[in-house]
This record gives sequence, structure tokens and C-alpha cells, in this order.
Amino acid sequence: MATKTLFVTCGATVPFPELVELVLSQECFEGLKNYGFIRVIVQFGRGYKDDFERRLNTIHGIPQRCSLGDRELGCCSGESLSMSVLGALEIIGIEYSTRVHDIVRIADLVISHAGTGSILDSLRLEKPLIVCVNDRLMDNHQQQIADKFQQKNYVWACKPQPCEFYDCLRKSQSEQLNSFPQAHNVQFENQLIKLAFTSSNVNTL
Amino acid sequence: MKVEFVFVGLLLAYAALVVRLISILPFFKGYSNGFDNQDGSLKVSLFEHKAKRPLRLFLFLGSGGHTGEMLRLIENYKRVLLAKGNTICVGYSDQKSKECFVRSIASEYPDCRFEYYQFKKAREVNASLLQSLISVLQTLLTSLKNVIKISSDFRQGPHLVLLNGPGTCCIIATWFKMLEFLNFAQPCSNLVYVESLARINTLSLTGKILYYIADVFIVQWQELTSQNPRAKCFGILV
Repeated sequence: MATKTLFVTCGATVPFPELVELVLSQECFEGLKNYGFIRVIVQFGRGYKDDFERRLNTIHGIPQRCSLGDRELGCCSGESLSMSVLGALEIIGIEYSTRVHDIVRIADLVISHAGTGSILDSLRLEKPLIVCVNDRLMDNHQQQIADKFQQKNYVWACKPQPCEFYDCLRKSQSEQLNSFPQAHNVQFENQLIKLAFTSSNVNTL
Repeated sequence: MKVEFVFVGLLLAYAALVVRLISILPFFKGYSNGFDNQDGSLKVSLFEHKAKRPLRLFLFLGSGGHTGEMLRLIENYKRVLLAKGNTICVGYSDQKSKECFVRSIASEYPDCRFEYYQFKKAREVNASLLQSLISVLQTLLTSLKNVIKISSDFRQGPHLVLLNGPGTCCIIATWFKMLEFLNFAQPCSNLVYVESLARINTLSLTGKILYYIADVFIVQWQELTSQNPRAKCFGILV
């Protein structure tokens, strides 16, 4: 039975309207439904609530009770917006979650902006990840990071444009990513221990 | 006759200071010049042999992404950094980062002792030139006070200083090395700098400065080691 959940995160601080627009489109809904998703959770970021609500009202969904509690979503009570579209797909919107890890844990696919924090959140929990570059940010390394992670085949990367985005979505259902290496490195640990515990580095002069 | 004595004395003092400076800067220390990869390639953990005594760790939390990486880093190396009996001195300038630290680390590791040191932010947005000058001076002074306290506790035993991207780290690192320079009884501060994961092709400004000060300089992408030979790369650590 299809019970897949998609988690979309725009990052907590800077809104990413292009990504929200791509996700809340009829074409995306159709695709997700075909791939067996029944739930989409969108963390749209602080200060974007009114815009998100307005956009949600344009997709002709039916407002419904959220299938996840505020505790599970890590938001304040009554903060989550929920709507069902195409009869079978539930869209949940939250401004900011304090329990992103728990949401990532229940997700089958994550789409995030290309911030290192969000990328690590998903990859450390071994979730397939599509990275969408917020290219309007100035002096930001999102494009470089996305390219680098894509080059190593840890993520599927795209710009916020329909063709690239849907291409990534398609790939996420047919291709496999490389597994992300563990953060623990014995050599680095040894380096720390040597530095901290070897008394020879105490100055003798 | 007297003038010559004074002159020779000054010259000797100058020579001593230069020797002192050389002795505290990382370039001339065997363990940190980036060429000791032979023992590093032995994939044996020193943990069982050496890291038995409690460690005193100072780390600095910046804001946002920097804080996130620091939290991941100490969590990933908790076996050493958050072992039973360790004292963790936490420097912070951003209240939110401190709360985040308390929530995700301090409350999870009751066997460690935690001390908090507030640092003033060097620069506020929209400050005038005079205001910024005053606030920079204040930052310098309050951070000196904190660093004196922290480094005097370092004399008791094993210790480490862990720094990453935030600009305040430059000031903190400079004070640590300055105190080493002035106080002959002061052990090495063991500064470890870990460059942000977001830096792939060039070092950050903080990184460029700390390249000359940190005892161990770590980057997370191999690309950065070619132009910066002192930098070591162990892959992604956060």
C-alpha cells in the first residue's frame, strides 16, 4: 500500500518561494500521486506564512484535519496548515519545526534548499535527497555545495526550474544514490587525542 | 660604556622574544606541520591508550550554520570530547545558539561539567564608525577577560580549544596565543580550527587568519589542501 511521505524544507530563516511554488503545482501533485506519495510536509520558513496560505488557497484543495499532531511536527499548537488535493494527497504546511530530525525520520524522500545543515540532516539519517539551489541568495555557496554533493552522487541537485525539478523527482524514483560516509574518522580523533593528552606539547622554554 | 650594556641587554631580550614567538607559533611544532601523516595512517585509535584523564575543552558557538556544525562535530567525537568528567567551557555571543547547545548537548551529557562564557559581538548592523570602534574595543577587552580565565584553568591538565567559522574566533585565538607568548609557564593552548563544510574552493576570512595561528588546521574538502599545505583533510567531519 502506498503510504509515502515527502518532506520539503526551505530552511528556517530565508524564504524560498520558487521551491514552494514548484511543490504546490498541479504537475507536481500528479507526479507525487503516481509515485505513491500520500503526504507532503512543507517547512516554508519564518515570515512566509501569509504567502504560503495564499498559495495554498489557490490549489483548490479541501481543508482537513492534519494527520500528524503538533508534537510530532514540532510546531506550536494550531500552527500547522493542512489540505487534501486530488482526493488522496495531503499537504501539510509548517512555518518552523523544532523536531526536523523526527520529520526526516518518517519521510521517504526529502527535498531541501542547498544549505549544509539541511543536507546533513537528511544524509546523516540516510534519506534520499533532492537539493534545490536557492540561486537568489547573494554571497552564498549553495551552488558550489550542490554541485559538489551531486558530483559525488550523494544527492540529486537542481535549480528551481520546472524541467530540472521534475527530472530530479523522476530520478529519485528510479536511481540509487551513493551512501554518505560516516562522520567519525579515527585519524581525526587520534589527532585530537594526541594534541590534548600528549604532555610534550607543554612549553618548556 | 653603560649605553653598550643597555644595548646588549635589549638585544638579548629581543632575541628571547623572537625565540619565544617561534616556539609558540604552530609552524615549528612537529605535530602540527602537516607532514606527520605516517602515524595518522595507522588506523588505530589512541583512545584506549591515552584519553583516560578528564579533558578541559573550550569551544565557541557563533550563530546559525556555524553553531550547527560545531554541535555535530562534538557529538560525532563525543567519545573523546564529551567523555565522563570532562569540563566543557562554552563561549557564545548569540543567545539562541546557547539555548540550542543546552537543549541538544548539555542536557544529554550529565557526566560532563558545563561552564558558559558570554562574548560580545564585535559588530552590530547599522552602527556608526565611532560606535563600532567602541564595541570592537569592548569585545577585545571582555574576550581577553574570558580567555585569561579559561587559559589559566588549562594549566591543570589536558585541554583543547575547538574553533570554527565565526569572526570572534580570530580575536579569541589571538588572545590565547598572546597569553602563551607573555606567560612562560603557560602550556600550549592546543587550538584546533575546523573550516566550514560550505567552503570548497577558498578559505573563509576567519580561516585565512587562523591558518597562521591554529595549532591544527582542518578543512573538510580535499581541494583546499593543495593551496594551503598546512591544512589537513579527514573528509567530512560534521
